[in-house]
Amino acid sequence: MSKTDTKQSSQWTEKEKAIFRFFFLFFTLLALPLSVDLFKIIFGVNWLHINYSDIFNLTRLSAKFIPGDDSFINWLIIAVLALIGSLAWAKSRFKDADYDELYYWLRVIVRYRLAIGIIGYGIIKVFPLQSPFPSISNLNTAYGDFTDWKIFSMSLGIVPGYEAFLGGVEVLAGLLLLFRKTATIGAAIILVFTGNVFISNLAYEGGEYIYAFYLITLALFVLWFDAQRIYNLVSLERPTLPNKFKPAFAGTSRIVRLAGKALIIFFFVVLYGFKARTAIKNDQYQFPRTPGLAHAAGIYNVSEFKINNKALPYSATDSVRWKDVVFEKWATFSIRSNRPVAIDSANYEQVFADDKDRYYELAGSAGRHYYSYSIDSVNQVLTLENKNHHYKGEKLVLNYSRPDTATIILSGIDQKQDSIYVVLNKIDKKYPVQLSRRKSLKL
Amino acid sequence: MSDNKQHSANTESTDKNIQAAQPWSAGKKFGFRVLFILFLAMSIPFSGNWYTNVFQLNWLRPHYRDLYDIARFQPSFVTLFGGQRGGDITDAPAEKSGDKKGGKHKKQANGISDKAKTAGVSGNKNNTTPGADVFPPERHWLLDYIDWGIALLIGLVGGLIWTLFDRKSKSYPILYYWIRVVVRYRAGIGIIGFGFTKLFPTQMPYPSLGLLNTNFGDFTTQKIYWLSVGIVPWYQVFGGIVEIVAGTLLFFRRTTTYGAILLAAALGDITFVNYAYDGGVHVYAFYFVLLSLFLIADDVPGLYNLLIREKYTVPFKVYPDFKKPWLRYTRIGLKALTFIIFFGVLTYTEVINFKYDPYKQPATAGVKKLRGNYRVTEFKVNGKDIPYNPLDTTRWQEATFENWTTLTFRVNKPVQIDPSNGGGSPMRDLQRTFEISGVAGGQRAYYYYADTIDKVLYLQDKNAVAARGGARGGRRGGNESKADKPKKDNWISKTALAHIGDENHMIDKRAWSARRDREFAVPPRESKRNKMTLTYDTQDGSRVILSGINEKKDSIYVVLDRYERKYVLPKSTLVAGKYN
Repeated sequence: MSKTDTKQSSQWTEKEKAIFRFFFLFFTLLALPLSVDLFKIIFGVNWLHINYSDIFNLTRLSAKFIPGDDSFINWLIIAVLALIGSLAWAKSRFKDADYDELYYWLRVIVRYRLAIGIIGYGIIKVFPLQSPFPSISNLNTAYGDFTDWKIFSMSLGIVPGYEAFLGGVEVLAGLLLLFRKTATIGAAIILVFTGNVFISNLAYEGGEYIYAFYLITLALFVLWFDAQRIYNLVSLERPTLPNKFKPAFAGTSRIVRLAGKALIIFFFVVLYGFKARTAIKNDQYQFPRTPGLAHAAGIYNVSEFKINNKALPYSATDSVRWKDVVFEKWATFSIRSNRPVAIDSANYEQVFADDKDRYYELAGSAGRHYYSYSIDSVNQVLTLENKNHHYKGEKLVLNYSRPDTATIILSGIDQKQDSIYVVLNKIDKKYPVQLSRRKSLKL
Repeated sequence: MSDNKQHSANTESTDKNIQAAQPWSAGKKFGFRVLFILFLAMSIPFSGNWYTNVFQLNWLRPHYRDLYDIARFQPSFVTLFGGQRGGDITDAPAEKSGDKKGGKHKKQANGISDKAKTAGVSGNKNNTTPGADVFPPERHWLLDYIDWGIALLIGLVGGLIWTLFDRKSKSYPILYYWIRVVVRYRAGIGIIGFGFTKLFPTQMPYPSLGLLNTNFGDFTTQKIYWLSVGIVPWYQVFGGIVEIVAGTLLFFRRTTTYGAILLAAALGDITFVNYAYDGGVHVYAFYFVLLSLFLIADDVPGLYNLLIREKYTVPFKVYPDFKKPWLRYTRIGLKALTFIIFFGVLTYTEVINFKYDPYKQPATAGVKKLRGNYRVTEFKVNGKDIPYNPLDTTRWQEATFENWTTLTFRVNKPVQIDPSNGGGSPMRDLQRTFEISGVAGGQRAYYYYADTIDKVLYLQDKNAVAARGGARGGRRGGNESKADKPKKDNWISKTALAHIGDENHMIDKRAWSARRDREFAVPPRESKRNKMTLTYDTQDGSRVILSGINEKKDSIYVVLDRYERKYVLPKSTLVAGKYN
């Protein structure tokens, strides 16, 4: 392809060229998925039956030479590499290439990387997967027993319409970035939106502030192209020259370009969106998939509690007696008691396929102990295992009987090998968050 | 890289210049006239309260709310023409509202943050279900914007009249400049008013002990939103900075567009949040979006031409000649006045507010020994002991004494939820309801007067909705105030009152203000709130024995044992109020 437009080639000073060489390498390395996780994803994914979570993990790849959490050290490594590379470049035969053209292509790389990244998060909000509606256990945990981040996530989860709106803004910004002339607008949207995400992550101790900063940096670069022009026109109120470089694609290169764009939109928006939509109907990724005991979901008062045949009365202080119990719609059982809880905390975006790894419901929360369970409906036995990594291996084996729809009687062996007998009575609890504020509420 | 200097001999530019000086079409002129009047109507306060506030403002003893109420107003033609609406600047506390003609209801003027805000409630006096007079009537969503519709109508009518009388004008570039100034300052002042209540974070209070002990599922959607920002005061500070920066950018011509874009983005988000969390300030938030869009419109054609069409763009702007001395001095004077009031005085009053009298949190320190989380070890009603039982509908489950003058306790008995947002800025602690509004799960919060000499607590239920709803359904307004003549409350004896002291002066001297004095000068009416009178007996506060008469006139005997409750939620380094 060649450049059209006037023969007036812009003047690049030597200093500008040197700076550009560094940033060209820096941003190219930053934008490419040079991650130790890359191979895990490419070879781990079943490309014929791709999941929306796989696509998300793809969009989330960024420079990572050191395995583990995101870190600015990776940026430092890239900066050093870029510096070395730019010095070598200055001596090589490429030092007098067409810098306008290079700038164009660099901006293309960054635009597309940024678009894919922001749409990655956008889609899982448009179909509110990122922050699900809180579970019954979450609703029955004291406010002070949550981490900041967990509260933030649940507070967003109760308004899926708003979550979808936020996702829509992200997807829009991403789409605007795919087109040269609207890219600046998309970048401006991201600056404001992701700027807020960055600060929220710091405030709520979420784990995504480095990645948010990454997106902001890319957006700043995209915006920079037009920044001086905008300042000149809007603030200095002077006549302003537009961008002069227009790439020309002819023949096969034109077809390749359009096909490339279409492919990206298809894969990262259409297919991804479709998969996310199906998932939200069939498999909320934050919560386990296996269904729980039929028609048992709800919160139960523990009206009787016997341990080794000794009955324990209601107590505010006893650390053994259960206070209340929740059966979720899925196969999780949680107990509120005075027994202390060490928090299991993960606060960055991960999508897990296996039920046993899905610990969003207990992440960042104390006050309750959470057990995944399997049902033996023939013998009427529930086998419970503590989901919290700090209490790995805790197991209870309980026989269950259901004399009526609102009562469940459990008896068996608890995690300390004591025999327990528990009578659960369902509480008909209403939650104001599910009722309209505008009606008079007495709860 | 290309440069943006003057580029001469370009045919496009001369075309543009010629166009710029040409007279406006009839359509454009009419459109301008309508918009001019519309935005004038939208940007000028029309409620009596606003002017009363400004004229009775004591600049030597100011309160942050005096200034906030200057910044906080919106088009309110319905009330002007005698209709009923939620009230404009509103902080009539629940008890007083019976006085006002037509029932002025508690409605919140709340701030706007990047994340969102919600606010209180506008009421309608014709609803007769118990407590429902506090709730907005069911009505079409567009009706919320009726005041804007009226402003538009005024604009259209005014525009027509103007067109008939004005045949000579070819264009209105100078008037356009001035209406932009009006809108810029209106939007700037308005948003800065909010920004400061976040910069010194008082708009969203950090949750009290009572709130921390409440289940997440026992809050209304609106409450969840407010608490989610309250728990991170530094984020609130950031929100305040963004708002203040956006507002400041609006005061200067060269940065107006950036400020307007930031404002439109932030408040557009807040509008959505209000619809999603069922807040109540969606109209006021969208008002700022409208003003911002009007300001951005000026630069949109130029930017479109430059960035999308990629053509050489020559801006054309007309400004009044500021070399004329009267214009120059007026301009400098107005700017200086705005800055002094909204950056000088407002900052000072907000700092005082944060440190000594955070407006949503009771300001008076509670009894020093009575602090913290307590288990209810013993509970007797009329001599009969009730053992701990989560299902019992009388026994207190747990109790807290806050840092301030509130006792909270939870009972397994439903309570009418106070749907408001606990805002406005009432001076009396009793009316600062943030700690109980939007809270279900059987939580109760009682404000107390402490007679520390005779060791008696005089408690009143902070949830006024619960009392009203129970006692009577139906109309507030004229009838009620006639039926209950303001009787002086005499459930507290004169000696006790002397021991308790003057609530007005129980806060730090630096926070005393004319506004506070005014509100305290109105004696409290006898209210229908639940009341308790309890003696307290304790050595160092770790075991407290309360005994006396509860709200149902039963005698109770309660033994409370303090315990250290560890929360996962981190405390913040920014703590509002002074309670030591």
